[in-house]
Amino acid sequence: MFIDLHVHYYPGITKDAWKMGYQGLVLVKSSEKLSSHSNGPKGPSKDYKNSDIRAKISTFEGVEVRAKNPEDLKRKIQRFRNSTDVLLVHGGDLKINRAAVEDVRVDVLAHPYQGRKDSGFNHILAKKAAENGVAVEINIGYFLRNRNHRRQKILAQFREIMKLKAKYDFSLVITSGARSIYDLRSPRDLMALSSCFGMDKETAFSSLSNVPEAIIEKNQLRHQIISSGVRLLE
Amino acid sequence: MKLKILPTHLREKKRYLAFEAVSQQPLKREDVISILWDTSLHLYGVCGTSKFDLWVLKVWDCPHSDDYIIRGIIRCRRESLDEVRAILPVVTRFNGKKVVFFTIGISGTINSAVKKFIKLKEVDD
Repeated sequence: MFIDLHVHYYPGITKDAWKMGYQGLVLVKSSEKLSSHSNGPKGPSKDYKNSDIRAKISTFEGVEVRAKNPEDLKRKIQRFRNSTDVLLVHGGDLKINRAAVEDVRVDVLAHPYQGRKDSGFNHILAKKAAENGVAVEINIGYFLRNRNHRRQKILAQFREIMKLKAKYDFSLVITSGARSIYDLRSPRDLMALSSCFGMDKETAFSSLSNVPEAIIEKNQLRHQIISSGVRLLE
Repeated sequence: MKLKILPTHLREKKRYLAFEAVSQQPLKREDVISILWDTSLHLYGVCGTSKFDLWVLKVWDCPHSDDYIIRGIIRCRRESLDEVRAILPVVTRFNGKKVVFFTIGISGTINSAVKKFIKLKEVDD
């Protein structure tokens, strides 16, 4: 079961994603758009509510938290955690990256390398990410939006993350970050592309299927968890 | 005089990749060829591309309401299938308009690729 953990909603996305070979989607909204009027994302809009494709493809909701500083991040995580299926943190700033991997409530650290010259990720963050179960996102859309010179830089950043992954074994997710059909890519093609930055086939497969599945499963049980290792059973 | 054709065991093994492309402008076979070659040269360079035996055999137009959709078949060497597959997601634009390519399936013969994956009549639904 292939799941894309980071797509933005547009009309007809479920149909396009189904055609490409996805069975699950996480529709992500930015925390800035949500903060003005409501506490959490609204329920699914009517476009995919009444289409028969909805039966074949499962959709989840996610929030991408954008924060100015670590304190702001903590506050926003607290606010959105219970109302959403998947919580992503908009990475790129070193302090935000650090705060995100240190928080067990975060599911995914999205593009820690965005807008940076280095990968925004080092052995310390890698260790923390592995400890706290925070997955790191490889955003193919970010790679595709950039051109020649930047592209090779981004592949080098991906490769650096892969090097750390080999040693510290945190989880990785490959996402498209799509806003229209022109950003969506077939998961099997992405697996082939991932060999360009030194990812082997098994890792690529699991970061498109098993890891996102595990994240969603974990979040469905999250309300039962009292502290790490202790779960409330009905 | 024409060269004698190689015996079967010495020929390169081939794979046929059925793909679908969605674009903002109508695409012809020549356009697809130039898109794939340019992208491949960008991604792997001349040396890498020379190993692929990359060729676009045929494309079909699929009638669709808003965007232009085509389906087609690419030929490549069996050993470099994964590399060729990685070319498709890298394509983003052609002549300033957006394009997206994705594979529908892979086959060992042209005939079965057309039968299994192109299926022109079902394109609408």
